[in-house]
Amino acid sequence: MPLEAFTQSDALTFGVELELQLVNLSDYDLTDASPDLLHLLGQAPFPGNVTPEITESMIEINSSVHTRHAPLLAQLQEIRDTLVRAGDKLNIGLCGGGTHPFQQWSSQKIFSKPRYQHLSDLYGYLAKQFTIFGQHVHIGCASGDDALYLLHALGRYIPHFIALSASSPFVQGRDTLFDSARLNSVFAFPMSGRAPFTLSWEDFATNYFAKMENTGIISSMKDFYWDLRPKPEFGTIELRVCDTPLTVERAAALAAYLQALCRDLLARRDQGHDTPAEDDYLVYNYNRFQACRFGLDGAITHPKTYATRPLREDIAATLRQMAPHAEALESTAALQHLADVTKQWSDAQYLRTQYQRRGGAEGMVDAAIRHFRGEPLFY
Amino acid sequence: MPSLLAIAADLSWPFAIALAWVAGEFGHRFTRLPRISFYGAVGFMLAQHQVGVLPQVGGAVGGAVGGAVGGDPMLLLADVAFGLILFELGYRINLRWLRNNPWIGVAGLVEAIGTFAVVDVIARAFGVAPITALLLASLAMSTSPASVLRVVNEERSAGQVTERLVHLTALNCVLAVFTFNAIVGYWMFHTSGDLLDAGLNSLMVMLASIAAGAVFGLLVPGMLRSLNSMGNIGNRSHDATTAFALAVIILVALTWTTRLSPLVATLSFGLAARHRRVALSQAQRNFGALGELLTVLLFVFAAATLQWANVRAGAALALAVIAGRFVTKIVGVAAFSQVGGITWRKGALTGMALTPVSAFVILLLEHARQRGIALPDELNALEAVTLMLELVGPIIVQRALIWARETPRED
Repeated sequence: MPLEAFTQSDALTFGVELELQLVNLSDYDLTDASPDLLHLLGQAPFPGNVTPEITESMIEINSSVHTRHAPLLAQLQEIRDTLVRAGDKLNIGLCGGGTHPFQQWSSQKIFSKPRYQHLSDLYGYLAKQFTIFGQHVHIGCASGDDALYLLHALGRYIPHFIALSASSPFVQGRDTLFDSARLNSVFAFPMSGRAPFTLSWEDFATNYFAKMENTGIISSMKDFYWDLRPKPEFGTIELRVCDTPLTVERAAALAAYLQALCRDLLARRDQGHDTPAEDDYLVYNYNRFQACRFGLDGAITHPKTYATRPLREDIAATLRQMAPHAEALESTAALQHLADVTKQWSDAQYLRTQYQRRGGAEGMVDAAIRHFRGEPLFY
Repeated sequence: MPSLLAIAADLSWPFAIALAWVAGEFGHRFTRLPRISFYGAVGFMLAQHQVGVLPQVGGAVGGAVGGAVGGDPMLLLADVAFGLILFELGYRINLRWLRNNPWIGVAGLVEAIGTFAVVDVIARAFGVAPITALLLASLAMSTSPASVLRVVNEERSAGQVTERLVHLTALNCVLAVFTFNAIVGYWMFHTSGDLLDAGLNSLMVMLASIAAGAVFGLLVPGMLRSLNSMGNIGNRSHDATTAFALAVIILVALTWTTRLSPLVATLSFGLAARHRRVALSQAQRNFGALGELLTVLLFVFAAATLQWANVRAGAALALAVIAGRFVTKIVGVAAFSQVGGITWRKGALTGMALTPVSAFVILLLEHARQRGIALPDELNALEAVTLMLELVGPIIVQRALIWARETPRED
């Protein structure tokens, strides 16, 4: 089946998907609670949408399509409050974070749904190791060409989103020394990485997708686990590198940052000096590694000038450059939130501190649960 | 030189326990039925009153009080085994949940009080003396924490039936201990006329036991926390398990010398420790190998206190009690399932899983005897209830969890 036409959508509209952890409040391990939680949530209207995920200890929520940060944030908070109330009724803890710090993948149950059964059969232990929790942000694009332009132009900023959202320092009880260990699990999949370089939707559909489909390896866009992926049926590009942050406030701020960047890139497209090129990807994997491993303390190399710069500085400078766009998009508060992150704590640092202070990984999960509920932080 | 017979008697417990364990492992592999059902079956068959391999234990329910019960080392070990289980049960109770979702507590109260009433009526209909009927009814309120937790852990189940089952089991036990002691107190008042020795005494025992457990629940996590703050050495969660196990053993020993209730004290210890937030990790469920071993002992011991003659004599009443209790618990829990946030089906399965009665009742009776209370002899129906449910109860829990789809499926 040839790739469907790119649905035209309003440029710079956006929406957020979050994968959340379901935690047993006695031992703080993941718990297979999604069938019960979804049953209870099904009893009343839900603000947004909630769906089961690959394992029963995970649910996914998504917002509707928005144009502005404030309503997106309000909806995410409403979703959060609805979930927290349901969790209280069923004795289930909910939290963000890209990984659960000590769950054993071998004890996770795969949600019984044919697609997931298929994935489980195909990928074996990789599918269970895929008990990781990410945030996806969709940005509406007016055309397929716009989508591919944004997708490649954004490549340079991928480390920003990894470092700002990083919240997965622990895996299976150990400190990985990565701020985002979650992405290492994604990279294990054969179809992960980045999209092939082309700025023409026509070219992408006929020369790349059609050929790949002929190989029989893939059958739809869903089979690609790229960091940034076009979603023709929605008319969006989808950013997939973010860990689920510990709070919905940060999730909304990250979406607003992406929206502002896209506005900037679209405005600069015709000026010609920052045109994306295949060679931009020379530094891509290493920059991404720096962001995963060191978070805000990493250093990245500019794809055009090859200048190396601390990531923290690069983010802070970019946030300042985005100020006029944030004003136009009414998302100044969101960018300020992220500027504060670069000066203070990333979620990964916060979690590590909690591990030390509270004497173990269980205390860390407890802190994440409280953080998600919106309780005041204690350091 | 000791006689061959004496040597054989000394070896009988270790061999019985080993045999029960082997039977449990093979039985579980072949039939997928819960291991503890096999432990009980072996203990019952080898008991003094049946095959006669094991020496006389305890007073046996409804039977003659067997001399120096207080000094029986097997009862102490059984208490420790049970203490570990009750600690774990207490540790899994989230009091905040009972506040957030009051329907769980309501369902528990309705189901327990309903069971009390139904069993009392049934027993009287069978011509049992009123005081015995009341005692029987109070014990029928309880659910065996040992059977429930063992099966939950063995099946690695998770979900609303599992969570509610654990919470309702704890609630049932507390209600049963309280009601049982109140009735014993009331009865002693009537027989001895000494009010102080009766009602007040059992209330004081309850309160002092709760307090003892709570003190441990404050001290032990506090000590662990200061250990943790002294540096990150080795595997912390392992240390927590050992410390909690040792604390349970000390607490049980203390309740023996002070004549407090080890059941109430260890449950309250677990509750207090949980709310002090030092979590056990998944690997330490059941207290690892120590808990495993003591569970075999507990179930063999509990079943070995029962006599076939009594079981047969009480069988008809026992079946009626089991049926009445089964239905009442299912109806009582299911009635509040929708308002409590789960399906009717899951509510009914939760009620069904509350069926087991075993070691809990036996230990409660043994401790009443230890305190010098002479229980009526007609409690033999209870012996039949206990035996049947010790064997069948775990299977019912297992079925309920599987039907609720809360166990990992092998497909």
